[in-house]
Amino acid sequence: MERLTQNLLLVLLGGITLRVALTDAHLAYVQAGFRPFLIFAGAVLLVLGSIGTVRDWPLRQSDHEAEPDDPAPGASGHVDHGHGPPRIGLFLVLPVAVLLLIAPPALGAYTADRQAQAIAIPESLQNSALRLGPDDDGADYRSMPLLEYAMYALADDTFTLEDRSVRLQGFVLPRPDGGWSVARIRISCCAADAVPVTVVVDGDRGPLQADQWVEIIGTWAPPVAHPDGDYPEPVIVPRSVTPIPPPASPYEG
Amino acid sequence: MHSAPEPVLRDDVDATAGIDLPDRRITSGDLLFVLILIPIGLYFLRPDWFQGAALQAWSTVFVAVCLQALPFLVIGVLLSAAITAFVPASFFERALPARPGLAVPVAGAAGAVLPGCECASVPVAGSLIRRGVAPAAALAFLLSAPAINPIVVVATVVAFPDEPMMAVGRFIASLLVALVMGWLWAAFGQPSWLRLPQRVAGSSGAGRGTIFVTTAQHDFAHAGGFLVVGGLTAATLNVVVPRAWLDTVAESAVLSVLVMALLAVILAICSEADAFVAASLTSFSLTSRLVFLVVGPVVDVKLIALQSGTFGPRFAVRFAPATLVVAVCCALAVGWVLL
Repeated sequence: MERLTQNLLLVLLGGITLRVALTDAHLAYVQAGFRPFLIFAGAVLLVLGSIGTVRDWPLRQSDHEAEPDDPAPGASGHVDHGHGPPRIGLFLVLPVAVLLLIAPPALGAYTADRQAQAIAIPESLQNSALRLGPDDDGADYRSMPLLEYAMYALADDTFTLEDRSVRLQGFVLPRPDGGWSVARIRISCCAADAVPVTVVVDGDRGPLQADQWVEIIGTWAPPVAHPDGDYPEPVIVPRSVTPIPPPASPYEG
Repeated sequence: MHSAPEPVLRDDVDATAGIDLPDRRITSGDLLFVLILIPIGLYFLRPDWFQGAALQAWSTVFVAVCLQALPFLVIGVLLSAAITAFVPASFFERALPARPGLAVPVAGAAGAVLPGCECASVPVAGSLIRRGVAPAAALAFLLSAPAINPIVVVATVVAFPDEPMMAVGRFIASLLVALVMGWLWAAFGQPSWLRLPQRVAGSSGAGRGTIFVTTAQHDFAHAGGFLVVGGLTAATLNVVVPRAWLDTVAESAVLSVLVMALLAVILAICSEADAFVAASLTSFSLTSRLVFLVVGPVVDVKLIALQSGTFGPRFAVRFAPATLVVAVCCALAVGWVLL
């Protein structure tokens, strides 16, 4: 392909990367801590592409009449076909197009359903004290991530959860047996390594649709077996279920 | 200006299949225009195609893989462009021992300082050979650089916080692969298998800044294109292959090693990002994931394409299968000792 095309692609990709990095959009794809790297990459591509675009613009009009003292390698149209920018580079238009046209949202119920698996408690949590902290300030419940609740709820000894209320946030995930769960996707790096965490809600779903974000305040109940996988899933008995807007940071890190 | 590169150009046309004809009418600019127009047209004609849950999940994973690898790729490309522009050719002749057998370990260890991914190391190895470095040494560098450089080691440590031996095992096994392949080439390699296109790059007269910028642009378009291809494959596999199927495979020790080696070849994830993918495949054994991490940077579909483009098809058809076998053996041996 031509160098101008290549450089315009770099401008497009750098620009869209910067936009994704500077808004909350990147939180649907990568960890929050990755933002500075994305800003760096977007800025470098934007600058590289802009330099090239500005420099190549007049050359395109004179096309095959490369100036004799032109310093850039492969600048003449003749040589360009053998040694010009690699054509595989055209693929760079794909992430740009996908981001602009689909603007893919954070992974949700579809992925949580397909990738359902037994909850693996990370070693870093396993060794922490199995005693629930105090309630939130001014409330009669304790807020916690789904994974933390799952760890307490699936433990051999669940005394610490008795007579306590917890508050969980996640999206609605219908279960194969007609019930429903509240779910959250965990990522360790980017959305390619998504692992779902689900807590079965022992109550009526009502009009709630899949992927609707909800806040649940409720109490512990004994784990149930997943209908397909036969592994234990934590359960919560809701005292209240409230629809909420999706959080800016959709994944549990 | 036109007369000088003429024979060189013809040589290159021989070496690289499918080169454009000089008087082609359709330019890449037109192609790009059409490529952009098709999805935009579909967006208005068939908006429902863009709403399906599967497509959205696929797009999210695709974009995530691309964005995740992008900064690493940019750093690698900037660095290799800096080497191309600012490190004189004579440096390598002085730095490397004259005997290939001795140059192999030096070049292999030197791979640790090039923070690029495999896409960046192929052109660097090609230019090393053109600058008179022994092919065996350049190939050891080609294999070790994407696997043992600091960025990859740090990424592996971050991806496996509970398994520090994973990064150590990857470092040792990958270096071993590079050395074995370098010595194998020194012993059995035929110069006729290598077919290097001459670079027309008119470095004479061009400012170093210009060389740096044009090299970085070119290398990024090249490596970035292959990254996108890898992202497409990874996202498709992620969405299409059911997790239950992978879990079944993972239960067999032999099958899981073979499947992970195969996955490494067809997923073609950049070595700077593959540790995170390996970490997510939690149902597989650590050894089989080590195989994935060792095979990925040295053999995969995009590397095979890159190598036949840079060194010629006769090279790639011998080098890639041999590397695959050596990589699996090295990873198994190191995994058996360490993990």
